[in-house]
Amino acid sequence: MLTQAELIGLLAAVAKGDAAAFEQLYGATRAKLYGVLLRILGRPELADEVMQETYLKVWKMAAKFDPTVASPITWMVAIARNRAIDIVRKKGEVSIEDEPDALNVAADTPPPLARREMNEELKRLLSCLGKLDPEKQRIVLLAYYSGWSRDQLAKKLDIPVNTIKTWLRRSLLEIRACMGT
Amino acid sequence: MFEEDQDTLAAEYVLGTLSAEEREHAEALLSFDPGFEAAVRQWERRLGELNVMVEAVEPPAELWDKIKKEVSPDTAPADAEAAHSPDSTSTTEAASPHDLDVPSTVAAMASDLLLVEKALSSPSAETAADALPHASIGPPPLAPQSPHLERGADVIDLAKRVRRWRGLTIGFGAIAALLAAYIAVSQVAPDLIPPQLRTAGARLIARTEGAGRAQQDRLVAVLQQQPTAPAFLLTVDTQSRTMVVRRVSATLETGRSYELWLIANRSTAPRSLGVVGNDEFTQRTLPGNVDVDSLRSATYAVSLEPSGGSPSGAPTGPILFTGKAVESLPASPPPPKPAKT
Repeated sequence: MLTQAELIGLLAAVAKGDAAAFEQLYGATRAKLYGVLLRILGRPELADEVMQETYLKVWKMAAKFDPTVASPITWMVAIARNRAIDIVRKKGEVSIEDEPDALNVAADTPPPLARREMNEELKRLLSCLGKLDPEKQRIVLLAYYSGWSRDQLAKKLDIPVNTIKTWLRRSLLEIRACMGT
Repeated sequence: MFEEDQDTLAAEYVLGTLSAEEREHAEALLSFDPGFEAAVRQWERRLGELNVMVEAVEPPAELWDKIKKEVSPDTAPADAEAAHSPDSTSTTEAASPHDLDVPSTVAAMASDLLLVEKALSSPSAETAADALPHASIGPPPLAPQSPHLERGADVIDLAKRVRRWRGLTIGFGAIAALLAAYIAVSQVAPDLIPPQLRTAGARLIARTEGAGRAQQDRLVAVLQQQPTAPAFLLTVDTQSRTMVVRRVSATLETGRSYELWLIANRSTAPRSLGVVGNDEFTQRTLPGNVDVDSLRSATYAVSLEPSGGSPSGAPTGPILFTGKAVESLPASPPPPKPAKT
């Protein structure tokens, strides 16, 4: 498992055109990005396409990566997610009748990450999320992980779109205030 | 609060809940408003930690071959800036005096949501969970144990979309349809079009078969902030290099002028196309050194400036409306993808 510092070093090398470093970076990050993309796009063919576009962008823009502003994996995931959400928004809503019921999961699912496995930033975010009402937490998480639009959220949770909009706004403001930075 | 609104826009952009039109607006802001860009990066950082909990999935091995082909020293940035020192880390040591209270319910909910599989019908998905070669950063991923839920192919539910559009007074799709109708009429009965909208040399645009986009000579951009209130309509004739801007719903403000900008891409400054909107129709010849590809792919934006336009050559007032050009004829269905072996 590569450390933050190692990834930063790889990106710096990629910025200079180091193809071997790029291959290493791909090796270290591909599964995480693919997981994120599959979750939003659903179809492996689409995920493949966005993976290609993402890594090409990483190759071209590595020099612009600023480690004081983001961590390497966050930066790369943001690139991938952006493109994935662009696609999902423009294609029109995928029928959400086909969405598995995300909110009722079988009892035999594995337990969540142990607290000791989380880094400080994640703990802080989850603790801030924890201060929101459960419905609002759900909306934020569904939006982030699954890339659902306001309309999909409204339909799935049986809540008017305007309410979703208001709740999102408030939740995000509260998260910002809570996280401080 | 304007700043709060901007920050919420940035947050929703990162979260992903903006509509397609709102995303375009945000992307335009991203390309020339460093304050907005900073807000977006902050939100990416805040929310980015959620990715730690997403289970990693091995992509197909062939994917690397495809990526490798596209990547070569030629495509690397020409002048790679001096890389930041690898010793600088971006992790902040949160010196919290108290242990953070992470409610188990939140963590549980997050992982519950993650465990619901989405169309992972590839047989390698099961072995992927075991055979992860240090691919994940951070805590080991959760092994998916819920049954693979089959999901049909991308079902674009047209009925649902139509129902939604009927609720809008004038949605983006409706505008595109109207504009397509306008173009059709201009071919057939140009006298029906107000003289200012008739550009010289209007002619049938031949569609070419084959791979790649058919080149369009006529571009249309709808500049707006909300899909229900197009403020300006812009048509560009790339052959004659003229444009017509029609003020639709934007109100005239005394002592201020609207100025139109062309934003070719994120790294170039916005380019003024002049003050628009004093009359309902503004017709103008485009500057000689704007290339056609920029016209096609750029974002157009209208800002509110002091009377007579920006004194500085760059936008000084708020960017109120943005839009991208679209082909002015309804798109033909994309050519069928070649069969994969």
